[in-house]
Amino acid sequence: MNDIMAVHGTVNFTVDQMRAIMDLKHNIRSMSVIAHVDHGKTTLTDSLVQKAGIISSKAAGGARYTDTRADEAERGITIKSTGISMFFDYAMKASEVGTFTDAEKQEMTDQMAAAQEADKNVKITENSYLINLIDSPGHVDFSSEVTAALRVTDGALVVVDTIDGVCVQTETVLRQAISERVKPVLMVNKVDRALLELKLPAEELYQAFCRSIESVNVIVATYNDEALGDVQVDPRKGTVAFGSGLHQWAFTLKKFAETYGAKFGVPTEKMMDKLWGDWYYDPAGKKWTSANKSGNLERAFCQFIATPLTTMFEAIMNEKHGKVNKMLKAVGVELKTEEKELTGKALLKRVMQKWLPAGDAVLEMIVLHLPSPVKAQGYRVDTLYEGPLDDATATAIRTCDTSDGAPLCMYISKMVPTSDKGRFYAFGRVFSGKIATGQKVRIMGPNYVPGKKTDIWIKNIQRTVIMMGKYTEQVADVPAGNTCALVGVDQYLLKSGTICTAEDAHTIKTMKFSVSPVVRCAVEPKNSADLPKLVEGMKRLAKSDPMVLCYTEESGEHIIAASGELHLEICLQDLQKDFMGTEVKVSDPVVSFRETVTEKSATTLLSKSPNKHNRLFVEAEPLSNELTLAIDDGEISPQADQKLQGRKMADEYGWDVSEARKIWAFGPDGTGPNLFVDTTKGVNYLLEIKESVVGGFAWGCQNGPLCEEQMRGCRFNLMDVVLHADAIHRGMGQIMPTARRVCFASLMTSGPGLLEPVYLVNISVPQDAMGNVYGVLTKRRGHVFTEEQKPGTPQMTLLAYLPVMESFGFTADLRSNTGGKAFPQCSFDHWEPMSGNACEEGCKANETVLAVRKRKGLAAEIPPLDRYLDKL
Amino acid sequence: MVLYIIGLGLFDHKDITLRGLEAVKSSNRVYLENYTSILHCPHEQLEEAYGKSIELATRTDVESESDKILEGADVEDVSFLVVGDPVCATTHTDLMIRAREKGIKTRVIHNASVMGAAGSSGLHLYNFGSTVSIPFFTSGWKPQSFLDKLEFNRRGDMHTLCLLDIKVREPDFEAMTKGKTVYLPPRYMTVNQAVEQIIEVLPTRESEYKIKEGTLCVGMARLGHDDQCIKAGTLEELRGEDFGGQLHCFIVCAEEVHELEVEAVEEFFVEGSVWKKK
Repeated sequence: MNDIMAVHGTVNFTVDQMRAIMDLKHNIRSMSVIAHVDHGKTTLTDSLVQKAGIISSKAAGGARYTDTRADEAERGITIKSTGISMFFDYAMKASEVGTFTDAEKQEMTDQMAAAQEADKNVKITENSYLINLIDSPGHVDFSSEVTAALRVTDGALVVVDTIDGVCVQTETVLRQAISERVKPVLMVNKVDRALLELKLPAEELYQAFCRSIESVNVIVATYNDEALGDVQVDPRKGTVAFGSGLHQWAFTLKKFAETYGAKFGVPTEKMMDKLWGDWYYDPAGKKWTSANKSGNLERAFCQFIATPLTTMFEAIMNEKHGKVNKMLKAVGVELKTEEKELTGKALLKRVMQKWLPAGDAVLEMIVLHLPSPVKAQGYRVDTLYEGPLDDATATAIRTCDTSDGAPLCMYISKMVPTSDKGRFYAFGRVFSGKIATGQKVRIMGPNYVPGKKTDIWIKNIQRTVIMMGKYTEQVADVPAGNTCALVGVDQYLLKSGTICTAEDAHTIKTMKFSVSPVVRCAVEPKNSADLPKLVEGMKRLAKSDPMVLCYTEESGEHIIAASGELHLEICLQDLQKDFMGTEVKVSDPVVSFRETVTEKSATTLLSKSPNKHNRLFVEAEPLSNELTLAIDDGEISPQADQKLQGRKMADEYGWDVSEARKIWAFGPDGTGPNLFVDTTKGVNYLLEIKESVVGGFAWGCQNGPLCEEQMRGCRFNLMDVVLHADAIHRGMGQIMPTARRVCFASLMTSGPGLLEPVYLVNISVPQDAMGNVYGVLTKRRGHVFTEEQKPGTPQMTLLAYLPVMESFGFTADLRSNTGGKAFPQCSFDHWEPMSGNACEEGCKANETVLAVRKRKGLAAEIPPLDRYLDKL
Repeated sequence: MVLYIIGLGLFDHKDITLRGLEAVKSSNRVYLENYTSILHCPHEQLEEAYGKSIELATRTDVESESDKILEGADVEDVSFLVVGDPVCATTHTDLMIRAREKGIKTRVIHNASVMGAAGSSGLHLYNFGSTVSIPFFTSGWKPQSFLDKLEFNRRGDMHTLCLLDIKVREPDFEAMTKGKTVYLPPRYMTVNQAVEQIIEVLPTRESEYKIKEGTLCVGMARLGHDDQCIKAGTLEELRGEDFGGQLHCFIVCAEEVHELEVEAVEEFFVEGSVWKKK
């Protein structure tokens, strides 16, 4: 038998068991662990890894098993999301089985029988569960890793620090989870801190829990998606756990409801209701009441759960041995002889681990409240699949079809470096069919369009492996509902893609990231002979990270663009250490800007085609900020039904309906926040030049006239055209450059402006160091717009805006000015107009434009208007 | 002095008129426009025959940078050579207007054009309507405006001369949006490609004057050359006919064909043609 025990020490399961259970699609849970940075995801993940027997219970809580990189361990933060598949037994009680149809039950029984038949050595029962877990980074710079993790999972374990509560990044990742139709459950973490450091009394602890739960539910309600059903978290339903990842203990109300239910003779479910909210037990009358008339009663949650906890903590920390022993007996925890020697925190950790094992509570939530792939794909297919929702592939995804002959569909969400330098595992989720070693498949990149021959390769799969944190294990095939990795696919796909078998299959939708690569720097090798290494290294870097952009400017500069300073730092480190092996010189970071218009054109602008036979007349005007954001968020998109969207744009953004229905294009990339609108009336053959005009517009949006930065918030109205009668004289070569020129001419004459990116900075700082924070911000053109005190602490949370341009070295500067007391977290927030007309000297906008031109090696001056504008 | 715009005719260096040749010889600079049509001989042969060095003028030179050509034409003679006739199929009106704006005198020296040579099909030039060009279709761009014109002609019982797309030094638009200029290899549309394209979009046409199954068509290649090739038949019959090397053009006849025209065209019928006069 192929037993990984031999390789990695004590493991509770074998690869054979794992592979066998992959067929039991009702017994699979794929989930991500998501949270704000430092709220304890990785540490909590350890408790499950420990339960699965991969690490010892002694190391758990400090092992950070899923932090596989040296720098992750050093910095104590997660940088890359790491997948791990684990095998658990969880005996579902009759009351928990939920609502399976008879057909589903039959299917489960059949699969079970088949699985047991397949390998007699493997012990698979209906209680066996496979958990595919992805631990994700909490730092905002690595949000793209979270996006990639959510795409391939169906559930999310949201971790919130009891004291810090819901933070910026909690909101971001939770919103992403819901938009991906990933169902959340909540873990209120670091309760040990609330008890040991803040020594919160029972009722205040309850209030702190309530705050976290409510904040989560407010976000859930804000971004609610009906297809996902009711996903509000509620301790009474068992979708919230409380505990400490560090000390490896956690509980849900269920755990206590079972104990007390038995005592009171109340069914578990009823008991759970009583253990939360305004319920009191009146010992005098021996009855439950929701009215605390006398004011003497203790809330049931406090009486039955919080107080025993605080008492236990207090007894152990104050070394009241007698009391401890009595309590241990009461809760049924037996300590081994050597464990009885422990004192203080060590004893506390051991006792709590035995009393309320974190792995059990988390596992219970995962198994009972997160959906199996079959359930999840039923409602996720609409948001996942690009093609028609009734074709063979969509149908197979919807039912998570693993039967023989079912069309394969797998989404590759990221590339994971292998030990073989320069090669990558393509990691992703199988959504339908089975992916097998040697299978012939269609590998489709994100730009693949059905029926075309670009961005598609038909190849055989070299190897299929399952990932377990630091280790991988080879298997023959992997059925739908599971995550796995492929060898060899990295040659074809850059970062992500879809693998299918059906010829008419469309791709899985490209992931939409909440961050964008706004921080860039230029690199060159220290030793010029290493240039080929740099070029190759940049290619590898681009592959290894979902977000980073690597490209070469016209000036020959090699540019790396990342989502933040930390992200950039990590990318540069990876580039030099892992992907090149030599050092590079790094320029000062540079920032992306956007070119825009601030007013409506005063006149109609004209450009003639090179052969002078065709004329385009265009006017520009700014898009409203609300509409620009709606396009960013995909609420207004080129894919939408033009009729319905036209109505929406009229109602919500004050557009003329008929104009809104004649939007020719979004740009750049066909989706960006600039619009080209046809406002002509009755022009013959206009549609024959549409593609060429759109091409020129897209090209223009990508590199604007001011300093070749992208445009943003510009609307171009095609007012009139004069065309040559013959199609040959108004082809792409004539119209495309003309459309670009006329857009440039209109931008330059409609109050040309420059937008700079601005960070939202969340700074956590004690009150006494606040003044210094203000000082540092002001120096960098930043300003604070809210300050708030964290309840029950001297900690303040400041929210400030800070131009990205001024943010380099900000973190270090802030730390040194506050004696390390202030913790900033920067995330991109919005684009802010810089002052002045970008084409007129003596303002910040113009200065910046000229600086960017200089850096890019463009002609020093902004091109004169007559290069783009023609006369009648 | 004078900007001579000189037609070179259809075949090779020998087609230039005597007047044209004199103008070339008198010129200080000579340009050859070689992107709207092609000659059957390399341009070195022209240089040898005319005893002048000849500069090739690309589309960019003529359309965007014509000042270079015009420069000094007010003090010296400049010749601008055009394959065919300068003011027939290809018009260099823009160049003439620019010359006029600069106060430069222009003189056009005519020559044979495809628009005249089409008469060798046997069809009467008097019976032709608007000339159309058929562009290469791309996956996203299939303009049909030439069919609108063609149907308009047929409605008035007129034949239609279809010029076929030539792509010389066509930039790669993908590369263009990345700020690079890459030229695609030259392409010349054949009669067969034109027929295929028409057949492709024909089912979407609704006009009662659209091309019918039995409509008479004439395919012509290398007009004016020693090996010129002319074949007539229905659209379907021409689909697979081999016409040899470039350049090709194509005539779609009116439903009503004059007796004398039929008699003249008969010579070119493909073997076993089913075409019958109504």
